Amino acid sequence: MLELNNQYTLIKRRVQTEVLKQFFDETLEQDADKIPFLIIPKERIPNRCCIYKERAMIRYRIMAMLGIDIERFDDEMKPLTEYVKEVMVKDTPAVPILTTISTACSACPPDRYLISDACRGCFARPCLANCPKDCITFSHGQAHIEEDRCIRCGKCKEVCPFHAVVHIPVPCEEACPVNAVKKNEDGYVEIDYKKCISCGRCAMSCPFGAIVERSGLIPVVKMLKAQQHVTAMIAPAIEGQFPGTLAQIKQALLSCGFSSVVEVSQGAETTSIHEAHELTHRKESGAGYMTTSCCPAYMEVVDKHLPFLSERRSEALSPMGYIAQWCKEQNPETKTIFIGPCLAKKVEAIRLGTIDGVMTFSELASLFMAKGVDVREMESADLGDTASFEDCRQFAVSSGVAGCVLNRLEGSQEVNVLPINGIDKKMFRAMKIWEKRPPEADLIEVMCCEGGCINGPGTIVKPSVALKLRGGNKAATPVKAMRDPLVRSEMHERK
Amino acid sequence: MGKREKVLVKICVGTACFVQGGADLLLYNDFLDPVVLANCEIEGSSCLGMCKMSSTKARPPFVQIGTEVYGDMTQERFCKLLAEAVNA
Repeated sequence: MLELNNQYTLIKRRVQTEVLKQFFDETLEQDADKIPFLIIPKERIPNRCCIYKERAMIRYRIMAMLGIDIERFDDEMKPLTEYVKEVMVKDTPAVPILTTISTACSACPPDRYLISDACRGCFARPCLANCPKDCITFSHGQAHIEEDRCIRCGKCKEVCPFHAVVHIPVPCEEACPVNAVKKNEDGYVEIDYKKCISCGRCAMSCPFGAIVERSGLIPVVKMLKAQQHVTAMIAPAIEGQFPGTLAQIKQALLSCGFSSVVEVSQGAETTSIHEAHELTHRKESGAGYMTTSCCPAYMEVVDKHLPFLSERRSEALSPMGYIAQWCKEQNPETKTIFIGPCLAKKVEAIRLGTIDGVMTFSELASLFMAKGVDVREMESADLGDTASFEDCRQFAVSSGVAGCVLNRLEGSQEVNVLPINGIDKKMFRAMKIWEKRPPEADLIEVMCCEGGCINGPGTIVKPSVALKLRGGNKAATPVKAMRDPLVRSEMHERK
Repeated sequence: MGKREKVLVKICVGTACFVQGGADLLLYNDFLDPVVLANCEIEGSSCLGMCKMSSTKARPPFVQIGTEVYGDMTQERFCKLLAEAVNA
């Protein structure tokens, strides 16, 4: 997958910030079409063919941010202001989460192996000897691959002593764990929504930004502007994403117009207790392994690809589900907005019906910038009594969910835990086998993103940075937290 | 060669800088040349105010090296500028 911070993500955040600024200034309905010119000025040296294409792409980013399904409803003759007027009146449907911009797609040639000029045409010729399809030929003193016979097994690449064989993948197809990303007959990207699990890996992988998420931000800022009672439900992964503590992040949200802020970790406590009970029950009755159920992309995997696991997953709601219920019980009028690193949560939100909006950390960053809110300068808001669910903030990190469940088991039980740290193609194949050969475990914790939610598609900082800023007041002084060897050794001791 | 004063470096950790790539600079222990690192005093800083100035074309993240403030900072550029500052 691409580096998290690249030209594309940074420009996307600038676009979002500009749109939000105009939205709050009430100029978006007149001036939306000016944004591409603002972001891509005449003097810019383009990364694409020309500034005009770059501007057209900015236009599409804005459409995605407005929640337009570009793949289906792109009308090039229609000005952005018209789209804005429409979404101000009526929210767009939230699914499908992802959409494609065919003109951004580079129509990458199919995935292939290529022998480069580094080939010395050696005497041993291990490529020739190991190719199962006999498709290596030699001419002009170098090896070549016969494209039509090659089955892309990669053997030649493995054995070449000069590393002369290169694998040229199609990034989006390679990233999709369930083969939902395909090319149409013209070679442009298409998503098979019947297979798509909304994990967002393809969108994070395309270096051209041709796969985009349809944002749910506009409905949320509309609620904020209308001064409705809006509750921000912040996912456990938020800690470490901003330069400030949880208490400061809470204050920053309040100053953006949210009426109240709750931690989803509170709901995670209910999830853990529920799963601990279930686990005990299953063990006693000899029902076999149980999987966690908090990762919505994994839920999609089960529903769309591995139905045999539907009896295996816990019946507990996700932390988001429980906290949303709780919020609605406290105040039935409140609008519940989940703020997390996840795209698939949008699918889950629709299924549950108790969540009124989902936004990502990345979108929250744009909101902070548009509002001129500096998390670091915020006072500390009162987080309330967090003692009972403090450990549940670890739900954001691989193995963290299982840890919380084990903490809540009654009595001493021997539990065999198997963490699934990221579902890629290989792991997906491995999970298929569970139907025939059940894994030797009692509790399987599944996280679709490698490392856990802190590596989700909606994050801002790399997991390596986020991990060092999580816990205590570390994020208040990020540079110190990264430098301090003391802090690190403390963390080791705690383990 | 006499003992030189360390170069004072301030990485802006205001929200705009932090989220627009500034967080990556915090990994300086991993990507800076240790010799350069030894000659620098690196600290975090509140918003340097540059992002709000309309006169500058530079964008976040900002870093102050000595008395000079630089925008559009990347790990590569950070390495280069610090090496220059230390060897100046």
